Amino acid sequence: MKIEQATKERIIRNVALSLFIYLLPIALMFLTFTITGQRPWEKKTQKAANTKPLTNKTNLNNGSND
Amino acid sequence: MEATIEFIKKIVDNLNGFGFPFLVFFIGVLEFSFGLYKKKWPKNERWVDITCFALPRLVLQPAFAYYALHFLPFALPGFKNVFSWVPFLWGFAIIAVADDLTQYWYHRLHHEIPWLWRFHRTHHSASYMGMAMASRQNLIYTLFFSQIYLTAALVYLGLGIPVIAVRVIKSTITTLAHSSIPWDKPFYKYKVLHPIAWVLERLISTPATHHAHHAATTDDGVGYYKGNFGNMFFLWDITFGTALISRQYPKAYGISHYEGDQWYAQLLWPIFKSKVAGSELAADGPVVRLDIDKEAPAGEASRTSAIQLAPAEINHAYN
Repeated sequence: MKIEQATKERIIRNVALSLFIYLLPIALMFLTFTITGQRPWEKKTQKAANTKPLTNKTNLNNGSND
Repeated sequence: MEATIEFIKKIVDNLNGFGFPFLVFFIGVLEFSFGLYKKKWPKNERWVDITCFALPRLVLQPAFAYYALHFLPFALPGFKNVFSWVPFLWGFAIIAVADDLTQYWYHRLHHEIPWLWRFHRTHHSASYMGMAMASRQNLIYTLFFSQIYLTAALVYLGLGIPVIAVRVIKSTITTLAHSSIPWDKPFYKYKVLHPIAWVLERLISTPATHHAHHAATTDDGVGYYKGNFGNMFFLWDITFGTALISRQYPKAYGISHYEGDQWYAQLLWPIFKSKVAGSELAADGPVVRLDIDKEAPAGEASRTSAIQLAPAEINHAYN
């Protein structure tokens, strides 16, 4: 049994509209950031830099800075 | 504001842990207490419901866990938590659309593409609505449940908390939409509540719209298995013209020609075939069988054929 032509065409049309809907919240988010001047991704980078541990597993001094 | 969001995060985190199983159990007990299954839970159907509920959790959960914990770090190294900066509310909106629209398509294609129908048929063969049948699916349908992989990927990318929040809300809406307790009835009955009903039935799946999708009949003004595919949001059906809002509940559920295919065939078709002659799940059965009332030689209508609803046709019962 084959898919009906009208159904096939409607699916293709609706998939195209769906792609727009998928992108809509992402686009709106960046639009809001542009309007408000927010740059949350920069905050994250700064936070990561500020919380860098003093020691790590590859530190051969085993936690001692002596 | 941040404190409020943190508070909401903690609530949804807890609800995700124990809230959903409790909700299903609580509604299930209510349904049985009120006799809402009307003694329509024969042994074969019980086996279908119980195995469909239990087996995916035992067999498929490890596969999903492997995908999330091993495959994603292997396929996308260096991308872990890369989007953790996305604010909670935006993350929620992005995932609500990504998850639910993907499920809408997965569901709709199983109705509109004939060769996919048999993978979804098990969910529709129950002649009753309620907690017992809500998890009733063919194992292969569940295995390829596309939005599971999408949301797992979004968790890996750093959107874990919004994913949990969406899951809690979505599970609640879809569970209540499948329930045999018509919680939406008062909204249609009392005029003062009509404006809320108008918004609700367009925004989310309600028992009336989702029960119509599970009806044994279609195009009779109440039953509409050719549409109403939405799970959390009904908006997709409204947007794509696959909606029928009638504010009524079908008289009969299931598939008109269903004759109780064996539980193992319903769980694992095409690995196991049905012994019911003429069944869609039988070895020599049709891909799609016509409804009993349409089984006239001239009838060309199929279970999966969809009709285009003009906006005026939507909600025709009370517009």
